[in-house]
Amino acid sequence: MGHDVKCHNLEFHDVTVAYGRRPVLWNIDLSIDGPGLFGVIGPNGAGKSTLVKAALGLVPLVGGSVRLFGLPLEHVRPRIGYVPQRETVDWDFPVSAVEVVLMGTYARLGWFRRPGATQRALARECLDRVGLGEIADRQIGRLSGGQQQRVFLARALAQQADLYFLDEPMAGVDARSQDQIFRVLSELRTDGKLVVVVHHDLRTAGEWFDSVALIDMRLVAAGPTAAVLTPENLRRTYAGHLDVLDELGRAVEQRGRTP
Amino acid sequence: MALLVSEWGAMHAWAIATAAVVSAGCALVGTLLVVRRMSLVGDAISHAVLPGIVLAVLAGGRPGGVLVLVGAVAAGLLTVWLTQLLSTQGGLAEDAGTGVVFTTLFALGVVIVTAAASRIDLDPTCVLYGVLELVPFDTVEIAGVNVPRAMLTATVVFLLLASAAWLTWKTQVLTAFDPDAARAVGVPVGFVTTGLMAATALATVASFEAVGAILVVAMLVVPASAAELLVHRLHHMAFVAIALAVAGAVIGYMAAWYFNTSAAGMMAVVLGLEYLVAAVVAPDDGILSRVVRRLGLAWRVLCEDRLAAMWRAEEAAAIQPATASADAPASTTSQVRPRGFSQQLALRWLAFSGRIAAVNGGWKLLVQGREEAGVIVRSHRLWEAWLGRHADLPLDHLHPPAEWVEHHLGASVRNRIEADVGRQGSDPHGRTIPPESEVKAEVEA
Repeated sequence: MGHDVKCHNLEFHDVTVAYGRRPVLWNIDLSIDGPGLFGVIGPNGAGKSTLVKAALGLVPLVGGSVRLFGLPLEHVRPRIGYVPQRETVDWDFPVSAVEVVLMGTYARLGWFRRPGATQRALARECLDRVGLGEIADRQIGRLSGGQQQRVFLARALAQQADLYFLDEPMAGVDARSQDQIFRVLSELRTDGKLVVVVHHDLRTAGEWFDSVALIDMRLVAAGPTAAVLTPENLRRTYAGHLDVLDELGRAVEQRGRTP
Repeated sequence: MALLVSEWGAMHAWAIATAAVVSAGCALVGTLLVVRRMSLVGDAISHAVLPGIVLAVLAGGRPGGVLVLVGAVAAGLLTVWLTQLLSTQGGLAEDAGTGVVFTTLFALGVVIVTAAASRIDLDPTCVLYGVLELVPFDTVEIAGVNVPRAMLTATVVFLLLASAAWLTWKTQVLTAFDPDAARAVGVPVGFVTTGLMAATALATVASFEAVGAILVVAMLVVPASAAELLVHRLHHMAFVAIALAVAGAVIGYMAAWYFNTSAAGMMAVVLGLEYLVAAVVAPDDGILSRVVRRLGLAWRVLCEDRLAAMWRAEEAAAIQPATASADAPASTTSQVRPRGFSQQLALRWLAFSGRIAAVNGGWKLLVQGREEAGVIVRSHRLWEAWLGRHADLPLDHLHPPAEWVEHHLGASVRNRIEADVGRQGSDPHGRTIPPESEVKAEVEA
């Protein structure tokens, strides 16, 4: 909104990420163009969340670079929205649902400006969009898991970004919330946004995403969903677990050699 | 007016005011520490500032002076930095690292202050326990009024903390709630956290003269923890914490004067009592409200069970007077006859509220009572039918769960269950499920 975006683009160029010294993502080359829903799919421990965090600058890159809309992250932060995994925050925190959504507007306010009537109205509107307008003033700990996830989504909407990252938005979420979340994501696609979703459920991946990337510590395949989710690619992602990468990672971490 | 306030009273007033301002600053900072689950860090910093203070005094600083404040903040930040170093480089768990660093620094401070006791104006006992009673005697003159030096420091520090909180509140809240999201939008999370640590060190050092190194932890953690029980918004929590802290200071000081004991100690005790009261009376999770809720449910179950028993007795008498069914096994009279004090009480209440009426030695259902009882029996039998359909349990497993579920089913779920099990009209035992339309004047709990 407010931005004239000709080409949605997210580009990973030869990205390698390590935790400590141990690499968990190896040499990722991935370009995502145009608006739509993009799924990042792979088994547990494949580095799906790490890929998103690398794009957001939350984990340091050992090698390679990430460009968003053709620019380094620092230049485009206000245009990026992020929905972390639900478990990463303390839901007993003393804030209401609408206050969490309001946090989405903080980035545009700078250091010292306080949120005003405009921001509050926007926050309520975003809560309405995810179907939670009626429980706006409830403390977040009293919401169900699915409602909490929708509050997070509403906060990302309040950022009014052009590119969204969602980390496992469907994990531990009831069917009604899933539908609502998917509906909002589809609206974002209609609005011409690019939405990158970390997802683990192959069953729904086929129907939700326009394009996907299959990841298991390295990029297995990426492209239009139908072309990528082939039995052969899935076998390479899930069954063909590369022990070599695992063992090599451990050896690098311990400054030793693989067996 | 001036005549009313004796010099003696003014002394105490200054001491109380100092204690109140100092506590308010600690409570404000403590609110953020508590919601960030960093109370232990507050504990650590409050102790570790000691060597910073002592060294600053040795270097010529005066207690409460700028040099001492700077020394304290530096020592506080050193603690945080050393702890992080131990955990990232040394692989030590964060809490253990904190424990190692702050005890070492605090001990270092104690050693230096004791060794140099003859050369500097800093008494180890004052450092540990504070000397609130002596605060009014060390004054500076401001606009013709003799203001205690500690009061001056405390006020300046409080204004500093309050304005910093006012200006950066939203950033502090975002960082506290969701550091990943904060980082993603470009908030320098480490810097914000360091700021909070510096604020903790400032609040602590301003409190040193009044309450000492040991009890300042109480000022940081206790009011905020009590406030967290009472309210569920962060800014409300900050105000409530400050109010509790000020009340603790005033009440604690006066109680200490009355009992002729340590003012700082009594203030901390009062704060502890405030927490206790909060834990008891907190509106949602307080002990009192939990007890009330539990008793309320027990009472409702008791009354509803009486009503349902009478409904079944009526049903049995109307349909098959000779046969006793499984969920109404006994005869009408023994079902309805009260067996204990609580049931007696429940029947009296049901009669008083117009649900049942007394008839020749027993009780009979009135219209409202019959409707409510019908709802309970309906819930019971619907649940048995649902379990029988979905859980594949033997018949004798159906009654016990239905016996407590019947008190928790609402109209909408009842109708959904009925749609699910089909309107066959009877439960797995073959008894009629009363239809919803019969229970018009239903009162949902």
